[in-house]
Amino acid sequence: MIPFTYLEPSSVDETLAALVQHGVDAKLIAGGTGLVNLMKQRLVRPSFVIGLRALKPLAGIAENGGLRIGALTTLQSLATSAVVARAAPLLAEACGHVATVRVRSMATLGGAVAHADPHLDTPPTLIALDGRIVARSQRGQREIPADQFFTGFYETVLEPDELVTEILVPAQPAGTGTAFLKFLPATHDDYATVSVAARVTLGANGAIAGARVALGAAAMVPVRATAVESALQGATPDEKTFQAAAPLVAGAIDPIEDFRGSADYKRKMAAVFVRRALAQAAARAKRPG
Amino acid sequence: MAVAKLSGKAVGQPIKRVDGIAKVTGRARYAGDFDVPGMLFGRCLRSPYPSARIVSIDVRKAKALPGVHAVLTGADVPDVRYGRMCKDIPTLAKDMVRFVGDKVAAVAADSVEIAETALELIEVEYEEQNAILSAEEAMRPTAARIHPEAVEVFPGAALGVHGELRMYPPIPNVISQLVAKHGDPAGAFAGAHKVFEHSFAVPSVHQGYIEPHTCLVSIGNDGLVDVWVANKGPHIARAHMAATIGVPENRIRLNPVTIGGDFGGKGSLMDTLLCYYLAAAARHPVKMVMTSFEELTAANPRHSASITLRTALDRDAKIAAIDARIIFNAGAYAGFVPVATLHGYSELAGSYRVPNLTVEVLRVYTNTVPCGHMRSPGSPQVAFAVESHIDMMARELGLDPVEMRRRNAIADGDPTPFGDHRPHLRCRETIDAGARAFGWDAPRVADIGRGISIYEHPPGTFGKSTVKLTAGADGRFTIQLGSPDTGTGFHTIATQLVAEHFGVPVAEVEVVQGDTLTSGFEAGASGMRLTTTIGQAIADVSDKMKQQLAALAAERLNCAPADVRLGEDGSFSASGTRIDLRSLMGWAAERGKAPLSCNGENKPGQPNNLASFAAHFAEVAVDRETGQVRVRRIVTAHDVGTIINPVTHQGQIEGGLIQAFGQAMSEQVVLKNGAAITAHLGDYKLPTIMDIPELETVLLPGGSGLGPFETTAIGEMSNVAVPAAIANAVFDAVGVRLVELPISAEKVLEGLSGKTGAT
Amino acid sequence: MRTVRLTVNGKPVAHEVADNRLLIEFLREDLKLTGTKESCGVGVCGACTVLLDGKPVSSCLALAVHADGGALTTIEGVAEGSRLHRLQEAFLAHGGLQCGICTPGQILAAKALLDTNPHPTKAEIQHWMMGNLCRCTGYYKIIESIAAAAGVE
Repeated sequence: MIPFTYLEPSSVDETLAALVQHGVDAKLIAGGTGLVNLMKQRLVRPSFVIGLRALKPLAGIAENGGLRIGALTTLQSLATSAVVARAAPLLAEACGHVATVRVRSMATLGGAVAHADPHLDTPPTLIALDGRIVARSQRGQREIPADQFFTGFYETVLEPDELVTEILVPAQPAGTGTAFLKFLPATHDDYATVSVAARVTLGANGAIAGARVALGAAAMVPVRATAVESALQGATPDEKTFQAAAPLVAGAIDPIEDFRGSADYKRKMAAVFVRRALAQAAARAKRPG
Repeated sequence: MAVAKLSGKAVGQPIKRVDGIAKVTGRARYAGDFDVPGMLFGRCLRSPYPSARIVSIDVRKAKALPGVHAVLTGADVPDVRYGRMCKDIPTLAKDMVRFVGDKVAAVAADSVEIAETALELIEVEYEEQNAILSAEEAMRPTAARIHPEAVEVFPGAALGVHGELRMYPPIPNVISQLVAKHGDPAGAFAGAHKVFEHSFAVPSVHQGYIEPHTCLVSIGNDGLVDVWVANKGPHIARAHMAATIGVPENRIRLNPVTIGGDFGGKGSLMDTLLCYYLAAAARHPVKMVMTSFEELTAANPRHSASITLRTALDRDAKIAAIDARIIFNAGAYAGFVPVATLHGYSELAGSYRVPNLTVEVLRVYTNTVPCGHMRSPGSPQVAFAVESHIDMMARELGLDPVEMRRRNAIADGDPTPFGDHRPHLRCRETIDAGARAFGWDAPRVADIGRGISIYEHPPGTFGKSTVKLTAGADGRFTIQLGSPDTGTGFHTIATQLVAEHFGVPVAEVEVVQGDTLTSGFEAGASGMRLTTTIGQAIADVSDKMKQQLAALAAERLNCAPADVRLGEDGSFSASGTRIDLRSLMGWAAERGKAPLSCNGENKPGQPNNLASFAAHFAEVAVDRETGQVRVRRIVTAHDVGTIINPVTHQGQIEGGLIQAFGQAMSEQVVLKNGAAITAHLGDYKLPTIMDIPELETVLLPGGSGLGPFETTAIGEMSNVAVPAAIANAVFDAVGVRLVELPISAEKVLEGLSGKTGAT
Repeated sequence: MRTVRLTVNGKPVAHEVADNRLLIEFLREDLKLTGTKESCGVGVCGACTVLLDGKPVSSCLALAVHADGGALTTIEGVAEGSRLHRLQEAFLAHGGLQCGICTPGQILAAKALLDTNPHPTKAEIQHWMMGNLCRCTGYYKIIESIAAAAGVE
């Protein structure tokens, strides 16, 4: 393991001050499953590692209309929370798919979004839920919509002096159904070949009032398939509609060839799984409760 | 041989593993769990090129780093090559590197961290050469020689092979060429009703043991070399070590360790020689643990293979002749393999009646990761080809695949494809039992397919197993074995065999693994040999012990030794007087005649006329939109003799089958420009507990076995032919024929789109 | 360097560790608790599983300093003296182990499961245990062992 100095600030203000002091020489560590791996492989070599575990107020799920999720809430907490299951089942579903129970027990939602590995399951999920990421620095606080947060391969809009403190998930509209599909053609403990987070909201007349479709592992960043969403607007929630809309995902994605598939295969699978996720989300929207 | 009547208390019972409590409590000690005072940590610098000349190495900065005790390059170690059959492996590369990962330098330091920092300070100048990345390329007349030097080969390379073997024939980069012929294949092809030819490609896979290669070498002030190493055959390892480092065998002690999985991959010295030289140079003990990255890119995985099969059939779809060309890509060094060529060729079509046969088997050097042995070496590659080929022919002819097997199954009286004769062949019975349990004739459902594959493998009887049995003063037995239990359970069955021979409770038989100074020679787990060889050695030592005990009992009971009877309850009696073993040994101890020890051994290399059969049936569902194959269930049928421990026996079937499942569905050592790029478990995908299919095992008891209990072998029966059953089921489901492993969703979808491979 | 204070298998431990020390190094090398095994190094195989405050974590990806103030359970702490935990008994009785290298991780992960969900379904067992790889058993007898320990058939 590379040498570094570990700091464990006991408040958010202390953390922010440390970020200002050390700048790009420092990395934040929450659960550590992302950062420790990178450091062991010597891909990142921070001189300072700032641990967040003492910031207890940053862990927790509160409901207030929508959900306020502390950045240090673990994925396992989210996967097993009755509150999340009720208020934003898509998030519970996605978190349950992440990696292994050990990763879920250590990794945090704030850590996941800041890490910005394009394979991750939670970023497209937050996009599909109209989630917003709250970032604080000594300069103030801002909220960034999830679909504007991710800018590149392991890159976000976060400045070096910013700390993610909360993730906000607005109350989901009535008549909403969601689905998270993670395509794992090889083994179950793999990164997705493609993942889709879909949200379909039905109006009183039964037509689609709105939809959100986001994909993971389909580009350098999690993407929102706005062309698909537009095509669904006002349409009948049936197989014909989804068949027609799903291929429109092509413009949003730019898959990379890796062990999980060629770019061409991933492109094909994106359309297949968008269609399937929409069908599942719509079916859940039709079923009350 | 008449089967000895079983007591029902030892052999055949699901006795808990003797090493089980240590393992479930974390007390079992693997090589990496041992520490020696003053121990340093060793790490290696490895070549980034598949083929290059080493121009210069500058280690000065590395040597100067505080905490570094020794830095070695090829110039610092003797120019002696190591190999289990072909001695072509240098301790550290000298002049040339031959694969990405070839060891170039090594460091011993106070911590792994310091050692790794030191590696970064070593400056190596390479002159890249053209790399040879495929076997075909390697054999071209103009190909450069990866080993232009003469390679010393152990005598006896040709022992036990079928046909003619040439070591290092005049074909570029060929390690061994085997040509075998039986009958009149040319005539059979000339007069054939139909001839089919198909080619197959099976990539390399890793043994996947969870414990990485580990060694710890400590050289005492008295010169005794103490070694803890994850090696399944410590006596053989010691012999090779002694010969290579020039230290007498009885000055080297390989200490008993638990091994965290072997599957053929832990038979070589791997880093042990280097570890020794580091320890000698550093004047401190040195521990070396391969990282997972090193394991997955630079250990000794299974050979990849290209196989072409040509078969002549008669009008009844019966095999008239087979011509096989098998090319194994051996990688950069041949020395990790203890034989001349992989024995899998010898099981070619062994389940079938094949009156005429030609086989050519080539093992070829390339500038890629050197390959070693893995559970039934060569067999999964050959079986995938044969069982797919048979299936493809059946399909072409409109014949049911099970019927095709039945029609061609070897039966009593038929010679094997190589012309051997074996009694009591139950191939058809095994197929029938499996097909029945599977429901082969049940109605079909769209996109759900079924496939069969069959396999034959004789138990190994080669290699020496010696055991020492001691009857203690308290009447309890201790059996000393010479090699670790790599997980197969042979330590446990050893206690069951002793208990059965003497009619004593299994729980009162202790097993101990000695070190190489104290224990008798044991070749270790290999080729499904241990049940047989340990069984034979224990039968031998039990006979000897019984004679000694009878003599003691005769003295005690005042009669002739010939009058003494051993009862079912373990007691000795003569003319109505009875004495139990504990009392007898107590009496003997009072007279200085206890404990009592005997050595026993097997008789290696006896002709092995047995064959065990396996038949696998797979049911798959194929998602036409994605190509994803879900293996819903597998039925695996095995003809077996006496099972010593039904739990460990079944464990071997299940574990082996899922290894094959991994090879079929998700595992591949992916090479890019010669480098293995599936470099961590995030990319090299082993099956998980969520991936396994429903499994039903059908056992056909009553098969012929060896030894007084008629035991058979199981360790390499279920891990070989399963991939073909799955591939055949995929074809049955959606008409896509895959002639390459692994079976990936993308490949199946390509087949469905008619792009490649669809039949 | 800093001092970490925690309980390990119920016993209080105070030890100096380097900031960059991994939890697995701390356990195996500093505390000489070699029951926890290192294999893949990237948190995939589960051989290094330990329980931190009852939750399964990859000790190969955790910093030792992150265990400060916590309650750590390793395989050495699962049995109570010579009395084996019902999971250990079940693994022994049902053949849930062969070479044993993955076994400490399997048992700890399974213990965390049963402590959270005393009567899991087969699907729940498979989902929870998905991160613990085994190369010897094929998993069937691991599922059987855990189900038996849970008292569920």
